[in-house]
Amino acid sequence: MKRMLRLHRIFVAQYMKNLMEYKVDFLTGAVSFLLGQVIQIAFLGIIFSQIPNLIGWEFNEILFIYGFSLLPKGIDHLLFDNLWSVGYFIVRKGDFDKYLTRPINSLFYVIAEKFCVDAFGELAIGLILVVYSVIQLKLTITWYMIPLFIVAVVFATLIYTSIKIATAAIAFWTKASGHITHMFYMTNDFSKYPTTIYNKFVRTFITYIIPFAFTAFYPASYFLTGENPLFCIGGTVVASVLLFIVSVWIWNRGIKAYESAGS
Amino acid sequence: MRTYSPFTRAGMLESVAYRANFFCFLIGEIMSCFIMFFVWKAVFMSTDSETFMGFTMEDMVVYLFITFLTGYLTYSDGTYAIATEIRDGSIAMRMIKPCSFDMCFLFQELGNKIINVLCIFAPLVLGVEAYRWIITGACQFDVVHFLLYVVSLVLAYLISFYFNVSYGFMAFYLKNLWGADILKEVIINFLSGATIPLAFMPKALASVLNFLPFSSLSYTPVMIYMGMYSGAEIALRMTMQVFWLCVMILISKVIWNHAVKRLCSQGG
Repeated sequence: MKRMLRLHRIFVAQYMKNLMEYKVDFLTGAVSFLLGQVIQIAFLGIIFSQIPNLIGWEFNEILFIYGFSLLPKGIDHLLFDNLWSVGYFIVRKGDFDKYLTRPINSLFYVIAEKFCVDAFGELAIGLILVVYSVIQLKLTITWYMIPLFIVAVVFATLIYTSIKIATAAIAFWTKASGHITHMFYMTNDFSKYPTTIYNKFVRTFITYIIPFAFTAFYPASYFLTGENPLFCIGGTVVASVLLFIVSVWIWNRGIKAYESAGS
Repeated sequence: MRTYSPFTRAGMLESVAYRANFFCFLIGEIMSCFIMFFVWKAVFMSTDSETFMGFTMEDMVVYLFITFLTGYLTYSDGTYAIATEIRDGSIAMRMIKPCSFDMCFLFQELGNKIINVLCIFAPLVLGVEAYRWIITGACQFDVVHFLLYVVSLVLAYLISFYFNVSYGFMAFYLKNLWGADILKEVIINFLSGATIPLAFMPKALASVLNFLPFSSLSYTPVMIYMGMYSGAEIALRMTMQVFWLCVMILISKVIWNHAVKRLCSQGG
């Protein structure tokens, strides 16, 4: 574990050097992302200027859920972004051999190699929204809320990462699976809004099949209402651990089935 | 025409070769339409009024899906493709061929678009019309508006194409366009009314945006489809589309003539 952390630091330092070569380009990207989120929130503001609440949820509560959803998404983006490249081109180009011939775990190596600094845009907006809405709603914060919040965010992140690991691993059989990751990943947008607005099919799907509802709405609703802690926080932990075990199993099966591609 | 038809064929073959990717992407992208559909349903459930800033629920559904369709079909990959060719130097290979630079790209992308139209245009339009029929109890399909929409859509695509080509030429000066490309997407989606309908924006802002070229990209064709414009307004809007198309072609030619002189190929 200690060795892994040390290696991770070295990888991050290498990657930062790489990034600094295109400073302006990277900054433009991060600013654009912020701008996109601001426009989305302005749109929500326009909608709420016309209605008192969205089937029982007021504007600041929606902002809290929206902000919460960006935190696990941002952490996953920051640390585990390289999984996209596995599905899109690393396997197809035959570059995956590199990861198998080093004396470290292949999954760890893939993950540690890249450190996606533009995720700080997501994290900043998420934090601002959460803090702002907590103040606006005058939520009382009890001491155990803070560790619970951290637990919820960490395990919610694991849901994102597990889905990416499982779908990226499909590339070991099919050579490319980036588009499959994309399809599953896009489902996460459903979690930005209360699940009560969806019909039964969608609700079941994002709770039990691809449990993205546990990355935002369920944990966030616990912090907003204080109801159902067992389902909202416990469910997040159980769903993410189950998903993680399955995805690592798929990854390891994939490594066994992997045949090098390209020249 | 004979010169360019092989490019169209290549474009078609290219998109057929990656059809699994194409459908997965489509499902991923169309998901956001369904999320907004549920959001709007909740909005209309939360208000006593039948309309929201002048739009009914079915208007909103038509707006969502037709905006998606319009955005999908007018999307042009020119910026990315050109920026990549400039960076790796393969643009030199295009320049020695006896055909016009932008026409090569245009005809290649047309091949791609033909496949797109075949796969998603009919299903989406039929779906939207079936929905309207069920909700209102009468067929709302208007042939005249539909045909005008198609013309407006083609104009919108050409504006988008030349705009993206001009933007891609910026790589002659900047070399790396990743960040600038994301910025472009965000700003265009906002200015064209694709993220927030222009009708929902403050009056002053909306009227400014209406006269910029970006509303020609998405808002104009969608409003024509929905029958929101009168005859005179349609004529005005489509004239503006033609005007902006000419401006964009002109800009791309000017940048091209200037940039080609200082092209410094990075390898290739």
